Amino acid sequence: MAGESLNRIDDTVLVREAQRGDRAAFEDLVRRYDQAVLRLALRMTGSEHEAQDIYQEAFLKAYRNVGNFRFECSFYTWIYRIVTNLCLDHLRRKQVRREDSGVVVNADGEEFSVIDHTADERANANPERDLLRRELGSQIGRALEKLTPRERMVFELKHYHGLKLRTVGEMLNTTEETAKNTLFRATQKLRGALADLR
Amino acid sequence: MKCEWVRQNIVLHVYDELADDARYELDQHVARCTECAAELQAAREFRQMMATVTVAEPTPNLLASSRMRLQEALETAQQGGFWNRLTFDPGVWFRQIRFSPALAAILLLAGFGGGTAATFRVMSDRAGRDPIVDKSPSPEEANITGIRSITPEPGTNRVNIKYDTVNTKETAGSLNDARIQQLLLFAAQNNTNSGVRVDSVDLLKQRLNDSRVREALVYALRYDNNPGVRLKALEGLGSYVPDDVRVRDAVLETLSSDSNQGLRTEALRVLEPVRADASVRAVLERLAVKDQNRFIRDQSRVVLAQLPEID
Repeated sequence: MAGESLNRIDDTVLVREAQRGDRAAFEDLVRRYDQAVLRLALRMTGSEHEAQDIYQEAFLKAYRNVGNFRFECSFYTWIYRIVTNLCLDHLRRKQVRREDSGVVVNADGEEFSVIDHTADERANANPERDLLRRELGSQIGRALEKLTPRERMVFELKHYHGLKLRTVGEMLNTTEETAKNTLFRATQKLRGALADLR
Repeated sequence: MKCEWVRQNIVLHVYDELADDARYELDQHVARCTECAAELQAAREFRQMMATVTVAEPTPNLLASSRMRLQEALETAQQGGFWNRLTFDPGVWFRQIRFSPALAAILLLAGFGGGTAATFRVMSDRAGRDPIVDKSPSPEEANITGIRSITPEPGTNRVNIKYDTVNTKETAGSLNDARIQQLLLFAAQNNTNSGVRVDSVDLLKQRLNDSRVREALVYALRYDNNPGVRLKALEGLGSYVPDDVRVRDAVLETLSSDSNQGLRTEALRVLEPVRADASVRAVLERLAVKDQNRFIRDQSRVVLAQLPEID
């Protein structure tokens, strides 16, 4: 808790310096959150190119508008709000059809499974288990595609990023109650789609 | 009614979103109702199943290239907000108008009329104590506009620093002195003189247990446009590669994309203790196949060949 307070104080200092034109301060802020931003964009788009584009657009938007930031929320919430909106726009604009869910397109245009790419370094990893895990990952990916963009975003932020629904609501410019209802609908749909696996 | 309420809130319970009183009520109900208990168990299994599939982290290459792209874009991006420009730190404002001839002339006259170049030497008044007390205003009270020179005193841990505010000042002190450290940190990131940056980074290498110093050296490694400064930073950060992931990431970025081949070679050497790390291995595998520099390709292959196979 003390660490979180300190982090927030540091963010406030950096934001004020960035608002005064200190680009290095802004870059410090970027580095605090950019890995999480890129992770979210990568999961939502399935493409390294598009994830990079969203990353770029989000932080440039933040840079251009940092002068308007009024500390009504944390910088963390603010940047996530920008990214989630960009990801939602992406999901709504594009029809992402993947034969094999969780497939990512890298910068060379090669496709590879997000699950495959996650190196399994556990001492007791074995190929059969890896295969089952990949199959499960594919099915989960297909089930996630059946969600609406908003349902998908709420579920991603809650389940994979561990955010509180109150924060998720702030990021999506809605209420905590709406975020709860959306999570409920998302999990019901996913459980229905994955019922055969259990 | 109760079961309906429970079913609607089970997912919130599983994801730790219920208030304490609601969680208590739900637990009490589930202890008595087998159907709701089964539903809770199913929800927990669902969450566990979703959690078995881990989220892939962006590769170090993707992160590094994203950061570089962003940095390039930031160089030409403009911040919005007219009123923000009126709240500048005067030091930053001064640097921005330094090429405006008329205003510069006015400032010069004001400087000659009112400013003095002062030299203060910090004396140790007792044997064995670090010299701290100084008559000049601390850098926090003045606006530092530049560091003119950094001169270590041979055989001691004292350093003499000449810096500009509206006036030129000079101070000396131990590396343990917070004020000296502040000036060195400023010099490492802000000075237009690369020689001063090299000197400051060289001295800051002795204080890497301080996380602010480490961040400053990581910044210098990533963004300084002088390879000598970057090399000094890399030399200092090397011992922190095994323990500090941020340092490791910065060194990986250097290996992947620094414009200076000498630095890339040194980065490869510095990463030897952690060559088995998954992120390092991934970068080496890519360099071994795709890097334009033959020496880097060959050395990457040599390091990879020494690694044990992943079962």
